[in-house]
Amino acid sequence: MQKAYSNKAVILSLVLPGLITFVFAILAPICLSVYYGFTDFSGMGEATFIGFANYKELFHDKAFGRSILNSLFLAIGFVFVQHPLAIITAALLERMGRKAEGFFRCVYFLPNVISVAVIAYLWKFIYDPNFGLLNNIVKLFGGKGDINWLGSGNAIWSVLIVLIWHGFGWGMLIYYTGIKNIDPTLYEAAAIDGADNKITFLKITLPLMKPVIEVNVTLAVISALKQMETVYLLTNGGPGNETQFMANYLYKQAFSSFRYGYGNSISVVFVIICVFATAVLNRIFKEREA
Amino acid sequence: MKMKKAIAALLTATMIFGMTGCGNKTEAPAAKDAGTEVTSDAAEEAAADTANDTASGEAVTIKVFSNLPDRTSGQGLVEQTLFNMYMEENPNVTIEVEALDDEAYKTKFKAYAAGSSMPDLVSVWGQPGFIDEVIDAGVLAELNEADYADYGFINGSLDGFSKDGKLYGLPRNTDVMCFFYNQKMFDDNGWSVPQTYDELLALGEQINAAGIIPVAMDGADKWPLAIYITDAMEKIDGSGVMAKTHDAIANADFSDPTFKQAAEMLKGSADARLFQNGFEVTDYGTAQNLFTNGQAAMFYMGSWEMSMANNQDIPAEIRDNIRVFLMPTVEGGKGKATDISAWNGGGHSVTANAANKEEAIKLLNYMYRPDGWTKIAWENGICMSAQDFSAYATGNETEVQKQFMDVIAGATNMSGTPINDMGTSDFKTQCEDLTQELSIGSVTAEEYLEGLAGACAQ
Amino acid sequence: MEKIAKKFTIGKVVLWTILIIVAVIQLFPLIWLLDFSVASSNDMFTSGLLIWPEPFHFDNYVKAFVDGHFLLYFKNSMLINTLAVLLVITISIGMAFACTRMHWKLSGLVKGLILLGMMIPIHATLLPNYVIYDKIGLTDTIWALLIPYVAFSLPQGLFLTCGFMESVPKEIEEAAMIDGCGIYRIIIVVVAPMLKSSVVTVAIMTFLNNWNEFMMASTYLSSPTWKTLPFSVLEFTGLYSSNYAVQFAVMALTAAPVVILYIILNKHITKGVAMGAVKG
Repeated sequence: MQKAYSNKAVILSLVLPGLITFVFAILAPICLSVYYGFTDFSGMGEATFIGFANYKELFHDKAFGRSILNSLFLAIGFVFVQHPLAIITAALLERMGRKAEGFFRCVYFLPNVISVAVIAYLWKFIYDPNFGLLNNIVKLFGGKGDINWLGSGNAIWSVLIVLIWHGFGWGMLIYYTGIKNIDPTLYEAAAIDGADNKITFLKITLPLMKPVIEVNVTLAVISALKQMETVYLLTNGGPGNETQFMANYLYKQAFSSFRYGYGNSISVVFVIICVFATAVLNRIFKEREA
Repeated sequence: MKMKKAIAALLTATMIFGMTGCGNKTEAPAAKDAGTEVTSDAAEEAAADTANDTASGEAVTIKVFSNLPDRTSGQGLVEQTLFNMYMEENPNVTIEVEALDDEAYKTKFKAYAAGSSMPDLVSVWGQPGFIDEVIDAGVLAELNEADYADYGFINGSLDGFSKDGKLYGLPRNTDVMCFFYNQKMFDDNGWSVPQTYDELLALGEQINAAGIIPVAMDGADKWPLAIYITDAMEKIDGSGVMAKTHDAIANADFSDPTFKQAAEMLKGSADARLFQNGFEVTDYGTAQNLFTNGQAAMFYMGSWEMSMANNQDIPAEIRDNIRVFLMPTVEGGKGKATDISAWNGGGHSVTANAANKEEAIKLLNYMYRPDGWTKIAWENGICMSAQDFSAYATGNETEVQKQFMDVIAGATNMSGTPINDMGTSDFKTQCEDLTQELSIGSVTAEEYLEGLAGACAQ
Repeated sequence: MEKIAKKFTIGKVVLWTILIIVAVIQLFPLIWLLDFSVASSNDMFTSGLLIWPEPFHFDNYVKAFVDGHFLLYFKNSMLINTLAVLLVITISIGMAFACTRMHWKLSGLVKGLILLGMMIPIHATLLPNYVIYDKIGLTDTIWALLIPYVAFSLPQGLFLTCGFMESVPKEIEEAAMIDGCGIYRIIIVVVAPMLKSSVVTVAIMTFLNNWNEFMMASTYLSSPTWKTLPFSVLEFTGLYSSNYAVQFAVMALTAAPVVILYIILNKHITKGVAMGAVKG
């Protein structure tokens, strides 16, 4: 039996399809990116090797710096706004009766299944300063209703709101499951000790949810770094480069500015940052557990 | 009026014919080719020399990549009509069109250029910001300039599409930047067309006071803002704006006071709330809709939008009252009212590695025969071609068309390519970003000019 | 008893209020979308929140359906996503079995390598992949989408499947092995059925991830043959730039299939996502 479990041919046949896809679709393009990152390739014609010039430029590139800051801003927004809201809603929802629970869960999750293309265009209309939904709501509450939601200074907040709105249901559902999995006898014990809702939430729910929260925080940070589609359609990085993100910026450099080589050097740094951030977060959470 | 309706109906008919034809395009040409064509060939041969080679040839598919996604109105309809006519005359030819919006088009164009599978016939812009790098990379096929001697292209219109004495594309239109305005709204409110820039600002204030948006501006796409600056320069400095910009970019030196004054004019207009709230995030379609739905009194855009006057989707009371005026003169400026901001921008080229290069060039030439694009575009009030269209004046032109005819006839100077399209494509992105930032006050006029100089240096 | 009743009313009212407010925030933009999708384009410029269209313009949906190539793009989206889901599940199960059950030296390394893919942003491969696909003639084919979709969903799929597989008892397989089953048969007949819940989770996550994707699609595809559903929306803004109502209709129309699917499969999807959350 041991023999069957270490049959090389069988192992190879099981592993190879995945490995080939990985090498072909992930590893090879990254290697190619590294190569183009060292050239001044415009996308057409000849590529000339220029050493680290792209990376040196990238280091001083304000728009790129802005992209990283924006990712950080999103990550903070997710961790300190979206997730607390999701946890609290999940905790409240858990107290509802069965039917209501199912209904709300379904409603909260609904935006999640709608494609980003639709979401981004829809919110573009919602934010329109002259006839958008949001300004009409502001007017309804007696405001002037001339807020330029996607304008300078507001834009990054508006992007955050869309992303929070879109991803809220997912986070809520995951936390909801986490809470459901907490042993109910713990709550009963707390109730006997006379703990009120707030104390139960802080002393029992939150600590027991720690592993779930950690995973979700990691995922939130990564998704903040990877942000592309929504921004591409909603603001395309504008006004100026105020809502620029790494993925969008590399696209802009390669295809709008004709700087394919530079775009690829951004790709390389982008990958490094993502891998690094994940590793650091995992390390932090692991150490705290130990 | 009746005449125009008849033409419109005809166009629609050819369109529908073309569309239904598309459904079974794989089999249809071959079948026709084998049957009816062969017999009629001999009779036609003597008469039609363009059809000559192709009709007897085997099935050919020409791939077209176009920046005109709306194939049922405006320039997209003209293009599609010509394609349908060509396919009808050359049954062995199938034309496949892929069309995207300007910005998406340019992105995809570069992706295509990076690869090896370029379509055969493509939309291009005869401006350094787009075409220089494309020509240098050898993407476009050279055309024989002598072939076009009797096509009636207006003086200098081929320059943008040429490099080192070789021609690589043909210009579609003469574009004039202007303010479209709603005459009825002006009359009802007692507003009058401004003669000076100061009057324009004062008018803006009056319109704002009436709770209406003065000028609908497409600021999200950024290039209209850059053209606004070019327009301002034309009025400040008069002739030689293009040469001046060219030198400034070559020397990375924008210290000439014209640039600063023009930059301040854009900033000043935005500050005076001449444009709608949030103009920097308003895209083309939205800006236009503000105007065509009566939310804005004016719309700053190019002459290609003259077709608004024929667009049945626009309410008649607005459609019939669209008129134009040009950027008014600036106090102390050297530019006259007849010095206009105009250029030959968009056009078509054949790609160097086209699978059907010869066929594609034939199609290109077919489109640009004087009674091709020029005639159809003008008679339907869609745009002014870069060729002499005076022969096709029908007397039934819309008011907007007549105004443009007068503008062209009376022009004392043309600005040429706008500032953003004068440098490399990297300069273009940086210049457009900076112009947008300038308009919303994120950068000062000084920082703007420094930024422009920095963008040239790279 | 009285105390409980009181708590019930005040507490419940607050609870309901909060949950309803959140529900309204999540739902209202979608209702707004539906409302204006049957209005006329000019209605957009009224200042009310919702309107009662007079008359109802259902013809907007006809335009959206026909000019948005809805059927073709929907078919493409479904086909590509279904294939991606099937491939990811099959490959994940095979690999997970090889990496958790079978004995070979490099198993840890291979698993780690694939899991590394979870950290790699898909858009970082956008530019180089274009060059690669172009060279080998994959642009404008279904493969240009299928390969990256599978590659970037695989790490998560493998991760989840490995997690589940570790909790599946080995005894049953061993019994089957003694009965003379080969490895492949064990995987298909014995192991796979026990992984049902993980398969659902992987399927849902893969589907939702790739359903949203349009950057790759818009860069790699040129003819309508394989274009996916987001293109209906993207192409419409150019086509009907002056008609907002039709734009709204096309947005509602493209959103509809998955929303309907979700409402029908609500319970399974919730369970699947939840399962992934606990394992993740």
